[in-house]
Amino acid sequence: MRPALISLAIAAVLATPGLGLAASKGRAATDDSAALAAASAKLDALGKRIELLEDANQVEIVQRTYGYFVDKGQWTKLSQLFTEDATLEIGGRGVFVGRKRVLEYMQTAFGPDGPKPGSVINHMQFQPIADVDPDGLHAKQRMRAFVMSNGGWGIPLYENEYRKEDGVWKISKLRGPFTMYTSWEGWAKNAVPNTRPESFPPPPDLPPTVVYLTYPSYYIVPFHYPNPVTGKPWVPLTAEAGAQASPAQVSLGR
Amino acid sequence: MRALVLTAACMAAVLGLAGQTAAASAPNVAALEAKLAEYRQRVELLKDKDAVENLQAAYGFYVDKSLWGEVADLFADNGSFEYGQMGVYVGKAHIRRALLLFGKEGPEYGKLNNYMQLQSVIHVAPDGKTAKARWQSVVMLGRKDESGQWGLGVYENAYVKQGGVWKIAKLHYYVTGATDYDLGWTKSAIPMQGPSAAIPPDKPPTEVYRAYPGAYVPPFDYKHPVTGEPIDIPEPVDPIVGRK
Repeated sequence: MRPALISLAIAAVLATPGLGLAASKGRAATDDSAALAAASAKLDALGKRIELLEDANQVEIVQRTYGYFVDKGQWTKLSQLFTEDATLEIGGRGVFVGRKRVLEYMQTAFGPDGPKPGSVINHMQFQPIADVDPDGLHAKQRMRAFVMSNGGWGIPLYENEYRKEDGVWKISKLRGPFTMYTSWEGWAKNAVPNTRPESFPPPPDLPPTVVYLTYPSYYIVPFHYPNPVTGKPWVPLTAEAGAQASPAQVSLGR
Repeated sequence: MRALVLTAACMAAVLGLAGQTAAASAPNVAALEAKLAEYRQRVELLKDKDAVENLQAAYGFYVDKSLWGEVADLFADNGSFEYGQMGVYVGKAHIRRALLLFGKEGPEYGKLNNYMQLQSVIHVAPDGKTAKARWQSVVMLGRKDESGQWGLGVYENAYVKQGGVWKIAKLHYYVTGATDYDLGWTKSAIPMQGPSAAIPPDKPPTEVYRAYPGAYVPPFDYKHPVTGEPIDIPEPVDPIVGRK
């Protein structure tokens, strides 16, 4: 509720004739123009900060809309959320390059546009941490997807990048590593293995950027942001990707 | 919450202006005034968005505990409430009465009534007087030793700011599916309730549709965030409700 102070303060200034900048007798004109320049600079800095807040909100909307489109199989509209040169990497399927491949990935893997009667594939987007670069043109966002479907449950993560082109925020890099997928039986009884490049068509343009296992194993996709309290950047764990949670179990890869 | 970080910058700018004087002939005072007015409006819109987000979250928390009086008070005097195929209830008093169709007022031992308010896409009108929002709801319903249900649905709501206070002008909850906890979606599809005879609605449902296994798509109030075009999605054919 403290932001209320902002508008009160601004209102007070606006209510003052000439912004409170009314002429003061005996003041040199040079001082006045310097004051105006300083005020103008402060206002510009303020405008920049307001725009970054609007940007963060919009980046959230883009990713939430991505989720609503997945829910209903709206692959064409979904692909339009991406930049022309965007990359997409989901699960262990490898990297698809370009907006056209994003659309091909979705339509080949999941069928033509449109919801299918008798099918629930809710791919809900929660818990966003959106950070806009100071340049106001690039952003990163971590988001949790919560999947509820006929097939069961899923917990993917997203660590995505966004770019503002001609004032419009788009997804420039989508990376969605899976945490866990399970049947309706639940994760105590069932764990679906991570996908692989050959799991289903179409084949990717590039191999996976990292090979990892999903629950009951673990993989931590690097946090794009530092610890918000200490400010220290995330240092990826040294264990190889796909290591088993229990040291007693055999780790993979080496 | 993000608007909080503006406070320091804004106050600094304002104090900087107020603490200075300028020549009456300075040509850009008007420009600064215009810019300040625009920024004020944009900050207001950011605050409005937060207020709408909180309002709908508050709705969810009250519904969870069947606090129907608190729920009804979130609506504008002529606000409307529409849930699935139950029809439209208009006005606070009638909304409060309609909520009794979801159980008696107040929490009950053994009753779970969680309607989570998630994935909001909020658009405040440029004039700051009205807003629209889409929300995703994950629903957990239960009666101990009787039943447990998962539910899914989408809200497409409208809000109005009256006397500086945001209120719900129109709440439309599209039930999209419900299933038995143990059976799951492949084995169970719980249909929606129709309009009540005991507490009849003021108007019939604004749209006749079927929840899961139907594949109805609740309409989007907002335009595609990249193309700027309306998000028009053709509804799948459903002979049961006569949709071709």
